[in-house]
Amino acid sequence: MQLFWITLSAAVAIAIPTLATAWAQSRIGPAAAASLAEKPELSTTVVVMLAIPETMSILGFVVAMFIMLRAGG
Amino acid sequence: MILRMSRVRVLGPRELLPRTLEALQDFGSVHLSPPADGRPIAAVELAPHELRLERSLRRILDDVKVAASLLGGPPSSAGPIPVTPATWAQAARLARRVRRDAERLQSRRRTLEEERALLGKYQEVMTAFGKLFQRGVTPGVRVYLVVLRPGQGRSVDRLRELLAASLGHNYELRTQALGSGELALLLVVPRETAPRVERLLAESSVEQVSLPRGYEGQSLADAVPHMVARLAAIPGELEEVDRARARLSVRLADLSAAAAAVHDRMAQLDGMRLTATTAHAFVLEGWVPATDVPRLGGHLARTVGPSISVETLAAEHWSAEAPVVLKNPRLFRPFQLLVGMVPLPRYGSIDPTPFVAIFFPMFFGLMVGDVGYGLVLGVLGLLLRRSSRPGSQLRAISEIALGCTLFTIVFGVLFGEFFGDLGQHWFGMRPLLFGREESRDIISFLGWCIALGLVHILLGLVLGMVSAFRGHPRQAVGRGLSALMIVLIVAALLAAVRVLPHRLLTPIVVALLVAFPILVFAEGLVAPVELLSTLGNILSYARIMALGTASVMLAVVANRLAGALGSLAVGIVFGLLFHLVNFALALFSPTIHGLRLHYVEFFGRFYSPGGVQYRPFSHWRTT
Repeated sequence: MQLFWITLSAAVAIAIPTLATAWAQSRIGPAAAASLAEKPELSTTVVVMLAIPETMSILGFVVAMFIMLRAGG
Repeated sequence: MILRMSRVRVLGPRELLPRTLEALQDFGSVHLSPPADGRPIAAVELAPHELRLERSLRRILDDVKVAASLLGGPPSSAGPIPVTPATWAQAARLARRVRRDAERLQSRRRTLEEERALLGKYQEVMTAFGKLFQRGVTPGVRVYLVVLRPGQGRSVDRLRELLAASLGHNYELRTQALGSGELALLLVVPRETAPRVERLLAESSVEQVSLPRGYEGQSLADAVPHMVARLAAIPGELEEVDRARARLSVRLADLSAAAAAVHDRMAQLDGMRLTATTAHAFVLEGWVPATDVPRLGGHLARTVGPSISVETLAAEHWSAEAPVVLKNPRLFRPFQLLVGMVPLPRYGSIDPTPFVAIFFPMFFGLMVGDVGYGLVLGVLGLLLRRSSRPGSQLRAISEIALGCTLFTIVFGVLFGEFFGDLGQHWFGMRPLLFGREESRDIISFLGWCIALGLVHILLGLVLGMVSAFRGHPRQAVGRGLSALMIVLIVAALLAAVRVLPHRLLTPIVVALLVAFPILVFAEGLVAPVELLSTLGNILSYARIMALGTASVMLAVVANRLAGALGSLAVGIVFGLLFHLVNFALALFSPTIHGLRLHYVEFFGRFYSPGGVQYRPFSHWRTT
C-alpha cells in the first residue's frame, strides 16, 4: 500500500507541473507564431520564452526523483 | 572582447570632398556618423543634379532587383566596373531593357503554362474520343460533348430514352469513364435535328462542355484536333522561353557589375549627407577601430593629398553611439553566433563570447555525457564543416558542434557511458566520477549541477560588478554584495548540514545580517527580491541533471528493448530507432536549455544590450 502512495506522489509531482507547462506553452505558442510572422528576428526570444515554462516540469521531475529515491526506489 | 574604437574627424578643402569619400570607401573601415551638433557649419545638401542621379540610381537598382528575381537568383558578386560619365546612362538603359525582357518572358511563360493547364483538363476527354475525330467528322452531323459528375449516371439512360423517342435510331451515343470519376458522353446527331437535341439535353439536366477561350466559335469536331496540336506544341515553346531566359541571365551578370558601382555611388551620396561644410572646407566624423587610426591618416595623405587632416577626438567626445565590433580568438569566434542571437552588447560593456564558448559546450556535454552520442555528433560536425564555406553560419555551427562533441566525450568517459550502459557490457567501462543511471549517484549529479550554476551565476555577478564599476559605482557595490551574500548563504547551508565546520555558522549569519542593510542601501528595496530571484536562478541549473538523467534513462531503455522483444533482429531495429530518437532529443533539448541558461540566468546578471551595429563605409559586397 505504501508503494502505491509513493508512486502516486511521484506521478503527481511530475504530472501537475507538466500540465501547467503544457498550458503555459499552449498560450505562448500561438502568440509566438504571430510574433514571428511579423518579426522573424524575434526567434531567439521566442525559443527562450517557450523554454521558460519547462522549468516547472524539470523541477517536478527533480521532486519526483527525490520522492522515489527517499522511498528506496 | 569588444574592439576599441576611436572617433576620428577628417577635415579638408571642400573641393576634395568627393575624392576623400572615394578614398574612405577604399579604406573600408570607417563607420560614418553625423558631426556633433552646435558647430558653426552646415550639413551638406545634395545639389539638384545629385538628387536626380540618386533617383536614377535607385531606379537602376530596382530594375536589377526585379530582373534578378524574375530570372531566378540574385546578381553575382562581381566587383564594380570603372565609372565614366556615360556609365550611369548605359547602366540605366541596360537595366531597363533586361527588366522589360525578363518581365515579357515571365509573362509569356505564365501564359503558356496557363494554356497548358487549361488544355490539360480537356486532354482526357480528347484522348477518350480522339480516334473518332482523327478520321474526320461526316459533314451534316452535329457533335455534342457532355461530362457528367459522379452519381449522374442515371441521366444517360433517361437521355437514351428521350433520344430514341425523338430520333429513332438516327443518333450515336458513346460514353467513357474518366479518371476523376466523371462520365464523358459523345453524342452525334444529324445537323437538322440539333434544336430538338439541345432541348432534350436540357430536359435531361445535363450541360455541354464549353470549349476553352480561343476555341468558342468552333464546333467540337473542328476544335479538338486544334487543341491536341496546340497541347503538343506548348512544351517546345516553353523550352524556347527558357533558352531566352538563360541568354538574358548572362546579361544580368554584366548588369551586376554595374549594380556594384551603383551601390558604391549611392553609398558616397549617403556619405555626403553625413558631411558638414563651411564655405571652403568639409568635416567628416566617424568611428574606426583604434588600431586602424594611424593607417587612415597615411592612406588619405597618399591618395587625396597632404591638405587632408585626420584627428582623433578626445575621450570626452565618445558616446554610446560608438559601433560595436566583437573580436575574439579563433577558438571562441564561432560562439559569436550564439551571442549574435540577442541584441548586441553596448560599447564599453562586456562581450560574453569567451564565457559562452566555455560554458555552453560544458553544459551540453554534461546533459548528453555519452561517448557514443559524442562520436556521432562529431562525425556530423565534421561533415557539416567539410560542406560549409569558411566564415559562413554553417561553418560556425559545425565548430560549435565540435566543441560540444569534445565535452560530450569527456563527460561520457567520466560517467562511463557509451550509448547508455552498452559500454559497461561491451568494454567494461566504469564511471570515473559517478554513474548517472545509478539512483544512489543522482543526488551527487544534482549537487554538481547546482554547484556549477552557483559558479556561473557568481561569475555573472562579478562581471556585472566590473561592468557597472565605470558608470554606476553604487550598482557595482550592489552586484558585489549580492555575490558575497550568495556565497555566505551557501556557506551557511553547508555549515548547517556540517559539510563545513558547524562553528562557522554563527559568524556567517552575523556577516549576512551586516551585509543585508548595505545591499538594500546600495540597490534599493528591490534588492531582496533580486537576491531571491538569483537563488532561484541557481536552482534552475537542476535542469542539467534532469535532462541528463532523462537522456541516459532513454539510452538504457533502448538497450533493454534490444533484448526484450524475443527476436534479436526486431529488438536491434527498435533499439536503434530508440537511440536515434534519443540522439535527436539530445541535440535539441540541451541546446535550447543551454542557451536559456545563458540568455536568462547568466546574461541577466551583467549583459547590457543596445549596441550599435558596425557598418563601415566601404565598397558594396553581395554578402
